Amino acid sequence: MKLKHLILILTCISFKTIFSQEKDEFNGMALIKGGEYLPLYSSDSQKVFVKSFYMDIYPITNIDYLSFIKSNSTWAKSKIKRIFADSLYLKHWVSDTVFNINISKSPVVNVSWFAAKKYCECQGKRLPTNAEWEIVAKSNQTQADASKSKEFNQWVLNWVTKHSPATLPNVGSTFKNYYGVYDMHGLVWEWTYDFNNALTTGESRGNSSLDNTFFCGGGSFGSKDLNNYASFMRFAMRSSVKAKYSVQNLGFRCVKTKKTKKIVKE
Amino acid sequence: MKNLINSFIVCLGSFIIVACHDGKKTENDLEEKECCKKETNTNVEISNEIPEESLFNLTSDWETQENKVVKIQSFQNKITIAAMVFTHCEGACPRIVADIQRIEKSFTPEELKSIQFLLISMDPERDTPERCREFAKEYQLNTNWTLISSSEDATIEMANVLNVKVKKLSSGGFDHSNTIHVINQQGLITYQQNGLEQEPEGTIESVRNLLKK
Repeated sequence: MKLKHLILILTCISFKTIFSQEKDEFNGMALIKGGEYLPLYSSDSQKVFVKSFYMDIYPITNIDYLSFIKSNSTWAKSKIKRIFADSLYLKHWVSDTVFNINISKSPVVNVSWFAAKKYCECQGKRLPTNAEWEIVAKSNQTQADASKSKEFNQWVLNWVTKHSPATLPNVGSTFKNYYGVYDMHGLVWEWTYDFNNALTTGESRGNSSLDNTFFCGGGSFGSKDLNNYASFMRFAMRSSVKAKYSVQNLGFRCVKTKKTKKIVKE
Repeated sequence: MKNLINSFIVCLGSFIIVACHDGKKTENDLEEKECCKKETNTNVEISNEIPEESLFNLTSDWETQENKVVKIQSFQNKITIAAMVFTHCEGACPRIVADIQRIEKSFTPEELKSIQFLLISMDPERDTPERCREFAKEYQLNTNWTLISSSEDATIEMANVLNVKVKKLSSGGFDHSNTIHVINQQGLITYQQNGLEQEPEGTIESVRNLLKK
């Protein structure tokens, strides 16, 4: 009888342990194996090595964002400082804490880079780099790297060239990719941590009389594939926005670096 | 039946015990809240007189070439002529410094009493205060010039409020836009000169307009 209880306890504990580990590591996030990544408009020598990381499975929703606002009232639409967001910030919300219930599970949009960055920080996470985002973005349902798939590129392009619907669908409404991540394409554009590195003018070339806003470039998987229009459009997007802009089809999601046993330099 | 209930109670008990053992998770949650709390606190410190678009709303800490830790708000006493640079830069940065020095020369000593020069590092890894001190010496920057550096996070935030594009290269250098900013005593950007070796008239005029106020 006692033995039976003991076995039962052990079973329960091991279940709980497995469960909590899963929760810790995979709580709404998917593990992305790191690797090399070549930014658009760069030579092989400019390859970036990306460490393994976790990425939110879904973009941040309006309801997610509301709970952030509730504990960080300085980021509410009536309180946010203009340096951190333009006047269109959360314009689709009725008030500081109210929005149409139909969009609860839709991705939050009209948020500035500063706000997205702060949101992730308060979750103990951060915004993905261009390199991280693009690595995940090149996967389709079955392959980690589907950048050579004509069908996939065409699907992405079809979305990119379409207008966003007035009411955005719920997160998770597009496909689940190889990593288990949804909505990298087909729902909204997303902020990246270093979106502002989208430029091609070389320091060595000095500079030019080009206006800032005309710099283009950035990072994408399709660098050597000129047929990959969608990646060029993402660069155009990244190089045309400023950090305080609020755009009606630009949302975000967060990532977290995978902890290794090595001592990481702060 | 009794056995089944017994087993159930034992199982539930073990769950609770293990759940309590999960202290680490709880601590993490607290830490996350702390992040939000800190934000509110620092916001309180900033006085209400600062305009919403002011750079003085940035709460990050910066270190000067004299090892002094400062906030951007500490530059509020004078009109600031600023640029983002990195000291290992061989091409554009010496020229942007030369451009600012040229602007400096066009002001009278009296005018210069109300103007300061600020070089903001885009290379937090290598631009230590020591390195910045050397740079100041090499370029014969007087005491009216301050070089500051901070964390990567504060640096990217700064680049974003100044609308400067910065791209780190694998060589350790950076591609970046070359912009000279005129910042008034409220921390507002009143003028931006884009590109190297531009005629400085616009910048000088915008500073003189601020001096009149």
